[in-house]
Amino acid sequence: MDLKVNGKTHALRDDQAAPDMPLLWALRDVLQLTGTKFGCGIGACGACTVHVDGQAVRSCVMPLSAVQGREVRTIEGLASPAGLHALQTAWVAQQVPQCGYCQSGMLMAAADLLARHPQPTDAQIDEAIANLCRCGTYPRVRAAIHAAARAQGAAAVPAPQVLR
Amino acid sequence: MKRRTFVLSALGGAGLLVVGWGVAPQRSRLGKPEDFAGSQGDIALNGWIRITAQGRVVMAMPRAEMGQGVHTALPMLVADELDVPLEWVSTETAGPQSIYGNVAMFVASLPFHPRSTQPGQETVAARTGQWLVGKLARELGLSVTGGSSSVTDAWEPVRLAAATARAQLVAAAAQRWGVPAAEVQILNGTLQHGARRAHLGELAKAAVRIQPEQVRPKTAAQRKLIGQAALRRDVPAKVTGQAVFGIDVRPPGLLFAAVRMAPMLGGRMGALRNEAEVLRMPGVQKCLRLGAHAGATAGVAVVAHTTWHALRAVQALDVQWLAPADDQGQPRPPQALADSDRILQALVHEAKEGDGGTTFHSRGDAAQAEAQAHHQIEATYQAPYLAHATMEPMNGTALLQDGRLTLWLPTQVPSQARKLAAKAAGVDEAQVLLHVTLLGGGFGRRLEVDYVLQAMEAAKAMPGRPVQILWPREEDTTHDFYRPASAAHLRASWGADWGSAGAVGAVGVRPQSLRIHSAGDAITPRWMARTLPALAGPVDMPDKTAMEGMFDQPYAIAHQHMRHAATRNEVPVGFWRSVGHSHHAFFIESFIDEMAAESKADPVAFRLSLLADMPRHAAVLRLAADKAGWGAPLAAGRARGVALHESFGSIVAQVAEVTLDKGAPRVHRVVVAVDCGTVVNPDIVAQQMESGVIFGLTAALHGRIDVKGGMVQQKSFPDYPLLGLAQSPVIETHIVPSSLPPTGVGEPGTPPIAPAVANALFALTGKRLRALPLRLV
Repeated sequence: MDLKVNGKTHALRDDQAAPDMPLLWALRDVLQLTGTKFGCGIGACGACTVHVDGQAVRSCVMPLSAVQGREVRTIEGLASPAGLHALQTAWVAQQVPQCGYCQSGMLMAAADLLARHPQPTDAQIDEAIANLCRCGTYPRVRAAIHAAARAQGAAAVPAPQVLR
Repeated sequence: MKRRTFVLSALGGAGLLVVGWGVAPQRSRLGKPEDFAGSQGDIALNGWIRITAQGRVVMAMPRAEMGQGVHTALPMLVADELDVPLEWVSTETAGPQSIYGNVAMFVASLPFHPRSTQPGQETVAARTGQWLVGKLARELGLSVTGGSSSVTDAWEPVRLAAATARAQLVAAAAQRWGVPAAEVQILNGTLQHGARRAHLGELAKAAVRIQPEQVRPKTAAQRKLIGQAALRRDVPAKVTGQAVFGIDVRPPGLLFAAVRMAPMLGGRMGALRNEAEVLRMPGVQKCLRLGAHAGATAGVAVVAHTTWHALRAVQALDVQWLAPADDQGQPRPPQALADSDRILQALVHEAKEGDGGTTFHSRGDAAQAEAQAHHQIEATYQAPYLAHATMEPMNGTALLQDGRLTLWLPTQVPSQARKLAAKAAGVDEAQVLLHVTLLGGGFGRRLEVDYVLQAMEAAKAMPGRPVQILWPREEDTTHDFYRPASAAHLRASWGADWGSAGAVGAVGVRPQSLRIHSAGDAITPRWMARTLPALAGPVDMPDKTAMEGMFDQPYAIAHQHMRHAATRNEVPVGFWRSVGHSHHAFFIESFIDEMAAESKADPVAFRLSLLADMPRHAAVLRLAADKAGWGAPLAAGRARGVALHESFGSIVAQVAEVTLDKGAPRVHRVVVAVDCGTVVNPDIVAQQMESGVIFGLTAALHGRIDVKGGMVQQKSFPDYPLLGLAQSPVIETHIVPSSLPPTGVGEPGTPPIAPAVANALFALTGKRLRALPLRLV
């Protein structure tokens, strides 16, 4: 089976993967893309959120067979060669993460939201971000989404380079 | 060694651990360069600080980063003292040396009343106990991340280590340049004198040979970084997916194992009926039986090529599970196994009717006061078992090769994990290499070593190959060490001035007595039996966590009697963020609110009237009330509630604004005021207050673990829900300035929220809720 992740196509061997294998485990245990996390395995917590053809999905309940020929984007591919995604920049500026475990999924869910609603309302954020966080980063997640939306709105200004 | 063990056990019998810096010689924790020897031309100046050839700083990191910001806060202490940019300080997992042990946490666990440990007025028993435990803790050197103690514990030794390194580097530069040391400065990581410049790496070798004179850390006025909202060092990797948690380590040749345990807590394994069949499943390498290690329930694991292959296979295993055995070794019937409803009923009965237990505090004569009372109220409160539900389920990775054991663990107890894993592997502790990874949440769950020993067992079954064990979410929820179920009966009385009730205005009438009798399982002795077996005492020994936050309550009430009955139930209990405070604050701060309401007082004014000799508490309460606009009118259908609670040395007040949404409480805004002594990083303090509030709200509104027939009923997030983003309140944090030493921030934000919400619901509905989670119908 083939798996196209972050613009690169990987051929998965039959002894590594099967059509009913959830995307999550192919990413983590076969391709070593460990940024996407396991939280519950039943699509309830959102720690495993990735994009398939631009849409946020729970990779722990998405079989490989369902993503054949489709584009998968993970947290490792959220930044572009030009720099961090506006959300990542806002996440750093607002100091969102604590333990950080759920944050990959949070960011992927938020990126999908911003793609659909560049200036989301609080109600749209409430609806889109069903990801669970045990550290309670929610208020800062909300603030960072609004900040990223504002920054993207003023897109002419290049995002500051915060990472190393 | 036998004698020392005996002494600590005896102290354990009197409680467990506490701190008096007056008796703690920090110099003994400075360590030697060889404690922190590095590679690649680094030069260690003591057990904490190494200087690289490029003049950067490496710090020995004995505490785990689990979200609380300690991998930023401790490097800030170093960067400030050495005057280097924070970005220049990196961290490396500290070794097993005793200098890295957590002394503060152990001293803080001694069950002394605050009145007996007031500086300058300590009782002989308190002073002796603190001195002895501090000394023993320093000698034993147990590295633990817990008890909100990391900054408190590091405050003196880490600043002293950095200050000593600085003095050596400055002296070395002065010698080289032939100038007085007093004229050499470090500015932004560069040694300077006049026009001369050198980076720290150029002087490190010379600095090692220098024995500095009396070294003192900077005064508050000299600090530049401490107190600033520096950006967290761990955040960049956490927004790009590069951060490595326990579940993310990928050593070459890694195999994956999935774990499944007997559904009955303490259950056993009988036959494995289809092992051969499961071994033929794709990717499967091995099935193995897991013993009941360190309080765990026995189970099975399947080792496979990927976690998915392992998960599928372990589910396919047909296992004969056996209930825990009775005295004759026979499986006990389900009705004889743990039942949380039955346990809670018994706890409530004990709290109301029981007359046994240990008196944690007694003042005046509460019984006499009640006998002569003009008015009394009493109430019984209760709280259920709770799971930790860290987002990263339990996991660990181990490799046993050529008599050497390598561990990659998300653990809060590295020294005990190392020791117990070495013992289980049959290797010398010196042959263990432990990498502590980031923790995807700890909250006390990772103070346990059950999963560590399972990883060890898997590695033993696959010598030469690293194995990563993982618990599915359902195992994590059903095989936790739970926050204990607990109950308390509280009784307050008023004297002759009761007749003036209503006449004294908002302040109400001063109560004359407060009596609390609580019941529940002690945590500390059980945890010690699991992780520190050599020091374990009797399971129902007096344990501070059983009454913390109640026996030491701050309100000036003349007659007090505080007693706890330690019970013995079968549900395994452990430390859960804020431990006893998590439910005790609900009990006592709700009851104080009842007392205020009974005397027709304003809840804030009533509390303040009883805090005349507790100025820090009063200041925190006033700040929260002011910022929340206490007393200002609210929209119809909205009400405020307040709570004040001290835990882990810090005082927190919260004001919650609630409404009802189809009969369910909805919290909109929480104003937090905190006094946590000197603040190292105010933004991390704010983060932890937000975190504590939301963690506590999950418990207050949803949290409940039920046990029936010995089996935990909740399995995963659908039936053990966490508060979501949409339900999260706006949270504001206000910090009281202080020059006292820093105290805890990771846990103190959690206790006040349940009573603040319950008190707001009382204000809104007139209904007093005395059980968690809060249910109006």
